[in-house]
Amino acid sequence: MACLAAAVLAPVAVDAEELLVFAASSLTNALQGIGAVYERSFGHTLVLNFGASNDLARQIQAGAPADVFFSADVAQMDALERAGLVSGAERLNVLSNTLVAVLPIASTSRLVAAADLVQVRRLALADPQAVPAGIYARQYLVSLGLWDALSDRVVPMLNVRAALAAVESENVDAGIVYRTDVALSKRVRVAFSVPPEAGPRIVYPLAPIAASRKQGKHHFVRYLVSAAAAEIFEQHGFALERSLLR
Amino acid sequence: MISPAELRIVAFTLEMAVLATVLILPAGVAAALALARYRGRGKGALETLLSLPLVLPPTAVGIALLELLGRRAPLGAWLAALGVEIVFTWKAVLLATMVMSFPLLVRSARTAFEEVDPRLVGLARTLGCGPIAAFFRVTLPLAWRGVLAGAVLAFARALGEFGATVMLAGNIPGKTQTLALAIFHENQVGRDDRALLLAGLTAGLAFVALWTAEWFTRRRTVRTVA
Amino acid sequence: MIVVELELPLPAFALRVKATLAQKTTAVMGPSGAGKTSLLEAIAGLRRGVRGRISLAGAVVLESQRGIDLPPEQRRVGYVPQDAGLFPHLTVRENVRFGARRGTERVTSAIQTLEIGPLLERYPDSLSGGEKQRVALARALASDPRVLLLDEPLASLDVGLKERIVPYLLRIRDEWELPGLYVTHNVGEALALAGEVMLLRDGGVESRGAPLDLLSSPGLTREAEAGIENLLQGRVFAHDEPAGVTRVELGGGLVVAAPLATERAVGWPATVAVRAEDILVATEPARGLSARNVYDARIVAIDRTGHDMTLRCEVAGGRSLLVRLTPGAVAALGLSAGRRVWLAIKSHSVRLV
Repeated sequence: MACLAAAVLAPVAVDAEELLVFAASSLTNALQGIGAVYERSFGHTLVLNFGASNDLARQIQAGAPADVFFSADVAQMDALERAGLVSGAERLNVLSNTLVAVLPIASTSRLVAAADLVQVRRLALADPQAVPAGIYARQYLVSLGLWDALSDRVVPMLNVRAALAAVESENVDAGIVYRTDVALSKRVRVAFSVPPEAGPRIVYPLAPIAASRKQGKHHFVRYLVSAAAAEIFEQHGFALERSLLR
Repeated sequence: MISPAELRIVAFTLEMAVLATVLILPAGVAAALALARYRGRGKGALETLLSLPLVLPPTAVGIALLELLGRRAPLGAWLAALGVEIVFTWKAVLLATMVMSFPLLVRSARTAFEEVDPRLVGLARTLGCGPIAAFFRVTLPLAWRGVLAGAVLAFARALGEFGATVMLAGNIPGKTQTLALAIFHENQVGRDDRALLLAGLTAGLAFVALWTAEWFTRRRTVRTVA
Repeated sequence: MIVVELELPLPAFALRVKATLAQKTTAVMGPSGAGKTSLLEAIAGLRRGVRGRISLAGAVVLESQRGIDLPPEQRRVGYVPQDAGLFPHLTVRENVRFGARRGTERVTSAIQTLEIGPLLERYPDSLSGGEKQRVALARALASDPRVLLLDEPLASLDVGLKERIVPYLLRIRDEWELPGLYVTHNVGEALALAGEVMLLRDGGVESRGAPLDLLSSPGLTREAEAGIENLLQGRVFAHDEPAGVTRVELGGGLVVAAPLATERAVGWPATVAVRAEDILVATEPARGLSARNVYDARIVAIDRTGHDMTLRCEVAGGRSLLVRLTPGAVAALGLSAGRRVWLAIKSHSVRLV
């Protein structure tokens, strides 16, 4: 697979560069894996900065020297495009994800559907006012008419991984995170999944930052949509948003 | 200009700061007195331990408290069994604030107590005062300014506490969101204008607190040890 | 009465004092570091680690064998430290009343005895050294103590001031029925106030006895200040304006002429002070002498003090006077113990204290 990728990408090899990549926290493990392969194959150095997409977007707007931005929702990328920080032509929608409700692994709570969430005393979400994972969760609950009852019990966390950690620590009763986050945790179990057709449309857009002068940024972006990367994303549970081989 | 929700944040912050200061006073004064008088071994270690929250990053204190009080910890589990929830509630705000403010109170009060001539206390004892009466009739009247200064410092610190609070109490609007946490949150969601307003309010509160303390300590203080 | 039998380990030595003090006032003297202050503090209950037995005016405050060790607030001692130790945040009145129990009778008496009425609303930092000491004394008295413990109360005062406080101490001694321990370096004070002197050295009692006896003790005189003063108490007898003197009666028929002091009321107590250096000795009854005070006396003891000789002479009424002479003078007159002499004192050498 790596050879195929190399074959596709070799004609545009550049001098070794250091690329600063801002990415949603839900992409942590997948990107670390992909990044390791990338560095070995092409000799560039990747500095991966994970966090809540809104937080990262804000930092880029404030002048942070990111080269590539991989967001968990479209709103943040739109904000950057409006600010002229990314070019509309260079944006790509790469991945999708699924929401799941999780419980601490030892929990005896009987939670099988969203309506059961009213039993929960404290529900961890990534900040539903700003962080993509939280916004998606809220949209889902609003669509079910459950948000008003539940909003009082929400513990807003800094990002989706923090929400996961809160559930692991048992300091909250349940949480809503991405399916891809749960795969890595041994301390939570899935109570129920949100079927893609029932939930909000989850899209992860990717773009190089216009202000960055690094040539490698385009190379890395193209690598992320290559078959090699796609395989790793799928292994981690992400759904692919588009046909990648081009 | 300022929304009702924001006013509630101000009220909550003040409530927590005042309560925290009041709650640490007895233990803080006692600790300060003990440090001022005790001359045995282990005094240095005790002093350092009590001063730790002053120099540790608040997040370090926060994580330590979380480890202690989280539901998986022995203490946290025991409290949960009793129906007492601390993490992610206003009690966590209070607790984090108390821990971070405590050393400031102790430091100021201790210096004040050290400046009271211990012989005066001995004299009071010979004149019929037990140890507690001697404290309230001699030591405290002579040291109250330092104790007050310590309390004000503790209050100001409580107003601004963030790191330990956000870890232990979370940033839950309407429940645990103090001014400091709200400023952070407004910035996170891109509403810098509100963040600035809240920052201004915080500065105003701190100013009033410090000015009041200044006014108290500036008043007649002619008497030194006669 | 104070009964003490105590032991207290100190950094340099162990304080070990065993004594029954029956006199109204006992002076505790000795070199610096001998343990005098520690003794007072031990009796007051301000020291830890004291073992033994202490009884104050019949009340047992310490008895290690029976497990009795009363805290200071229960011992009822009136402690007056060297620098008064007034509470700076309280007025004089509040200071004096600090330890008073039920009733204000003692408070009023204490204020009167020490004559601090005009000072009552003032704060300690506005008082002179002598005033502070008087307030401290009043405070101790007002607390209705069983005993008085005075730690060099006059040490921080100038000579003139000292003399003005001594009468108050005498008044306390005579009018209030309180046994007292009085730490001092000053021989004159000990002479004036104490019925007995206890000499401490390195934590132990080196000697005890009547003040005048102990004066001959080399240990004491080494510590004594230069210039011994004779302090004698009496009553103002009469003012003789034409003669320019005030006569003070000292009891036993002894009368001293001092410079005229009409502000002293006749019949009121007065203390006269005469320096040992100012007394002349004659081996024959003097004639044609200007001195107004001439007394028949007998030499009781002669001792060397530094470069001088100190004579203790007994006069009428059992009183003693100390006289300081050069060795040459003693030799020239052939003075010895037992010899009858005449002492002459100018009225100007007599001070009314």
